[in-house]
Amino acid sequence: MAKRILIVDDEPRYLRLLEANLRTEGYEVATAQDGVQALDVFSAQPIDLVLLDVMMPRLDGFGTCQRIREFSSVPIVILTARGEEQDRVRGLDLGADDYLVKPFSATELLARVRAVLRRAQPPAETGQARFFTHDDLKIDFARAEVWRAEEAISLSATEYRLLLQFAHNIGKILTSEELLTSVWGAEYKTDKEILWVSIARLRQKLEGDAHNPRHIVTRSGLGYLMPPLES
Amino acid sequence: MDHLTLTLLHTVLKEVQGKHDWRASLDTLFTSLRGSFVFDNVVIYIEDPQSKSWEIAYARAMGRGKIAEADAVWGERVATDVLSTKKMVLKEPKHLGREKDRMDQPYLLGMPLSIASKVCGALVFVRFGGPKYSDLHVKIASLQAFWAAALLERRELQEARAELDSVQRQMRLQDDFVSTISHELRTPLGFIKGYSTSLLRQDTKWDDATQREFLNIIDEEADRLTRLIEDMLESARLQSKTLQFKFSPVRIDALVRDVATRVNTHHPDLKIEFNLETLPPVLGDGVRLSQVFENLFSNAIKYAPGSKLVISTKSLGKRVQISFEDKGEGIPEDFLPFLFERFYRVPGERTVTGTGLGLYICKQIVMAHHGKIWVDSVLDQGTTFFIELPADPTL
Repeated sequence: MAKRILIVDDEPRYLRLLEANLRTEGYEVATAQDGVQALDVFSAQPIDLVLLDVMMPRLDGFGTCQRIREFSSVPIVILTARGEEQDRVRGLDLGADDYLVKPFSATELLARVRAVLRRAQPPAETGQARFFTHDDLKIDFARAEVWRAEEAISLSATEYRLLLQFAHNIGKILTSEELLTSVWGAEYKTDKEILWVSIARLRQKLEGDAHNPRHIVTRSGLGYLMPPLES
Repeated sequence: MDHLTLTLLHTVLKEVQGKHDWRASLDTLFTSLRGSFVFDNVVIYIEDPQSKSWEIAYARAMGRGKIAEADAVWGERVATDVLSTKKMVLKEPKHLGREKDRMDQPYLLGMPLSIASKVCGALVFVRFGGPKYSDLHVKIASLQAFWAAALLERRELQEARAELDSVQRQMRLQDDFVSTISHELRTPLGFIKGYSTSLLRQDTKWDDATQREFLNIIDEEADRLTRLIEDMLESARLQSKTLQFKFSPVRIDALVRDVATRVNTHHPDLKIEFNLETLPPVLGDGVRLSQVFENLFSNAIKYAPGSKLVISTKSLGKRVQISFEDKGEGIPEDFLPFLFERFYRVPGERTVTGTGLGLYICKQIVMAHHGKIWVDSVLDQGTTFFIELPADPTL
């Protein structure tokens, strides 16, 4: 079934540009001109990916991202302007999966969309145990659900994939490059910023004390790992 | 020290400290202790560190000193002595003359003023014809010198702080300006990049209509970029006042008709109605004023499509007024105060291409003519721009 992408931008010429290119790849497209409209469209039909501009009237991209994250883990890509590093970090902080910097080329746009959609696919499980536990953390692989101390946690698609990397590699140090390549794709190999922000977000959700993490631990200069539990 | 003196001192110093203006504080400091310490003139000399010459920071004359007010030179020698010795200086006339010559017999008392722990000025009192300064007087003067120095130091700090504030404000404006410019330039660039790379995609084939559509957008956005850069240069020249104006007597009614004719050749559908009074000429730059009118015409065409445009002129004695009235959809009241600001665009007006510089440029040009420009607008009824210019004063 064709994936449906919601594009949100107040510049009609950006909507046209994104829509024309996405349709050539067989995606279905829905559009909105500001955040408020985007939330309406989003709740009215199934959406597989949101492309979200930052500067918009009424409700801007950050506000929209935050609102969507309150009830959905749909992949979100923020469209931002070059040089505004704070914007990028803020978008990731609010739960966006990726960002695309304006001006961008058509091929760059399509590559990002493909990568983000690929990440959103729950990875196939190979006949292993359905549940995984690590101290007070519990993962249900079949339903892609996560609990901490018996409380369900909502993770974005990217965050979930990142967590799986650790769960499948207990006790093994994973380098930034490995994580970026396996979660985001080879084209992100050097984008450490996106990894830092995502790890920080994941810790906030998983750890009792994000400054003193027990599930995802940093090994300075090497990478990250989920330490084996002492039995 | 007795209770009464202490209370007096307390009241005086509290009042001195409380005044916002340092001059008023000094006034209070000197006048309120005159009960115990009488003098005719008081002057504060501060040495200008660059030129090494005296500057009079403060001077007050009381009683008979008022006659000698303008002549503060009598204190300069004392001030020089104070500064070189960094000590109190007392100077009394050598020969006592008769009562009527008392203006020639100044009794001078100079006190060093130290600001930021450096002696850089002197507080000088004068009594014409005496009496001599007693020990108590010297002590009061010394206390006043201490407080005067503190007040002057406070003034310096206030001035330095005001300067710093203004520099910071300038820097913030500059930052805003740079970020607005880069955003404005990036928008058309983003379209050019996006649509051209779409056409360059190897993996898809666009139909002819789409190709033409994309090429048109690229072409329009390149034009927008050019216009934006031209407008930016123009507005920067206006801002820095480096744009040269050539002033000569101009007939506004004739000028606006010329511009209207030009506009109509490009936009034959635009209906223009004239309501022109004969006006006295204004002293203006015809080319720049045409630019203002062209801008108002083009705004009407863009933002009030299909509406007729009524152009009226009125003579208001020493001023003339021109108005451009359209029957378009109007501008919400909340946005009106910002229309003439640089890069301001009414939110939601993105469908119409514009740089946010047109009205800013108009305002700068009108202001260079010592005129005003403003706008009235009612939603669903229309918008009127007014320009008022002074009539040529030489005619």
